[in-house]
Amino acid sequence: MSRFRRRRQGEVNIQSEEADYKDLDFLRQFIGETGKIVPARISGASAKFQRKLTNEINRARFLALLPYTDQHK
Amino acid sequence: MRHYEIVFLVHPDQSDQVPGMVERYQSLIERGGGKVHRIEDWGRRQLTFIIAKIHKAHYVMMNIEVDKPTLDELESSFRFNDAVIRHLMIRRKQAETGQSKIYEEELRDQEKERERDRRREEDVASRRRDGSNDEEGGRAENTADDTAEESAE
Repeated sequence: MSRFRRRRQGEVNIQSEEADYKDLDFLRQFIGETGKIVPARISGASAKFQRKLTNEINRARFLALLPYTDQHK
Repeated sequence: MRHYEIVFLVHPDQSDQVPGMVERYQSLIERGGGKVHRIEDWGRRQLTFIIAKIHKAHYVMMNIEVDKPTLDELESSFRFNDAVIRHLMIRRKQAETGQSKIYEEELRDQEKERERDRRREEDVASRRRDGSNDEEGGRAENTADDTAEESAE
């Protein structure tokens, strides 16, 4: 049950949505202030979804649509 | 033949060459017996970090169905084209049509810009009119029609 407690209250089941590198607003929910990907431990994403997410975020990063870090100049 | 999704970034100085490039790639694909399912021009976008001392780039995405030799040809043409600063090719299970989220955003931005331009023009027109006629105060929506009528008179 601990998995459920970690999930923020009122958070909709976000995993029903398909992760896609073109959907930046959706992906931004899963990167922290520093630009890092939020760990599944915090975001409550399933392992399967977290893998998909990582993949899509890295694609978006490669195309300079999302930052790797907040230190970019 | 397989489905691919391709995004490439064009140097902003070569931005006006984009339509020609897209056409060239399209004919290359069709010559190889492939199909182009979707093309989206995302326009010039701010990069989140600097690539090759560039802050902005022109993004183009296309969904295609091609065989390996054609894909390789496409790949090498990206590689040897100095205007293309980066490209991403990914395998897709099926042809994607419909608009992507980014493109929707881009279209919305364009619409907003057009709206702003139109409003500015109306503003100028109504101000010009205000000199002779005080009535036109808050009738922003009708001004376009008014202008047309006035020019007809």
